[in-house]
Amino acid sequence: MNNVNLKEIEKRTFVSYHQDGLIDIFIGTYILLFAAAILVNDILDLSTWFIIPAIFPALMVPIWIALKKRITIPRIGYVKFKATGANKLTIIFIGTLVMGVFTFFLFAFASTQSWALELRTIITQNGMLFIGLGAFIISSLFGYTIGLKRLYGYGLLALALFGLLQFIVFPFEYILLAIGLAIITCGVSLLTRFVKKYPISSGE
Amino acid sequence: MSNDPSNIRNLDRTIHEPTRLMIMSQLYVVESADFLFLQNQLKMTPGNLSSHLTKLEDAGYVEIVKEFIDRKPHTALRVTKKGKQAFKDYRKNLKQIFNGTQK
Repeated sequence: MNNVNLKEIEKRTFVSYHQDGLIDIFIGTYILLFAAAILVNDILDLSTWFIIPAIFPALMVPIWIALKKRITIPRIGYVKFKATGANKLTIIFIGTLVMGVFTFFLFAFASTQSWALELRTIITQNGMLFIGLGAFIISSLFGYTIGLKRLYGYGLLALALFGLLQFIVFPFEYILLAIGLAIITCGVSLLTRFVKKYPISSGE
Repeated sequence: MSNDPSNIRNLDRTIHEPTRLMIMSQLYVVESADFLFLQNQLKMTPGNLSSHLTKLEDAGYVEIVKEFIDRKPHTALRVTKKGKQAFKDYRKNLKQIFNGTQK
């Protein structure tokens, strides 16, 4: 037995705890809300709707905990993970935010520099491809860290659909809507399977 | 322990038993877990798991933590400091033995 095996056990434990599909439902809902906010802003010119996806992560935590207690724990039991796993996720999350802010400022800075004009043109012309690549890299990083292989699939789906926008004219928000719905559908199907596979335990 | 293969006799037999090794490995990678989670994860019957946990608890490798979650009593299991050290030593010793038998 070596470290690799222990890491595998740790990942398997994490995957097992998240086989209920709740994580997928939350990710999908977040993307869906974001798409809905863009749609409402386009149709009704109501930018205040963006507050909903903005506050969703804060609302998500108590709902997440309540659902875990009601659905997951009575069926497969409770596990408390070591802080190191959570720390890794926090590092990726903060890293993603920092990279996003850095990219935004870099792009803004490049807009003012004549030497960067060509680079800016390349990014603007291939914007959807870069968004797709970004989504793929971020979801793959999360997928690798926590061992949820389906996150690679979601990343690939985003890459494929955003990549398609390079070649066809289609509203961005509908692509987001499709990705969100696909992830929610996957989550609901996992949840249904989970509930059937693990009936409520009459134990403690 | 040197890398003499005969040292296999000195391995910690409480941990060396396959089922208990599985339990220790599972609990080692998490902060704590409850009985139901271990049972599901290790695909064991309640009786079998309980008897092995008792042995690990008697050896001081695993402790039972009683806590309240939403005002409901909850029993969690975790590896003690002694258990963590014993598990580390066991892995180290096993590695040394196998290194000693390598050609």
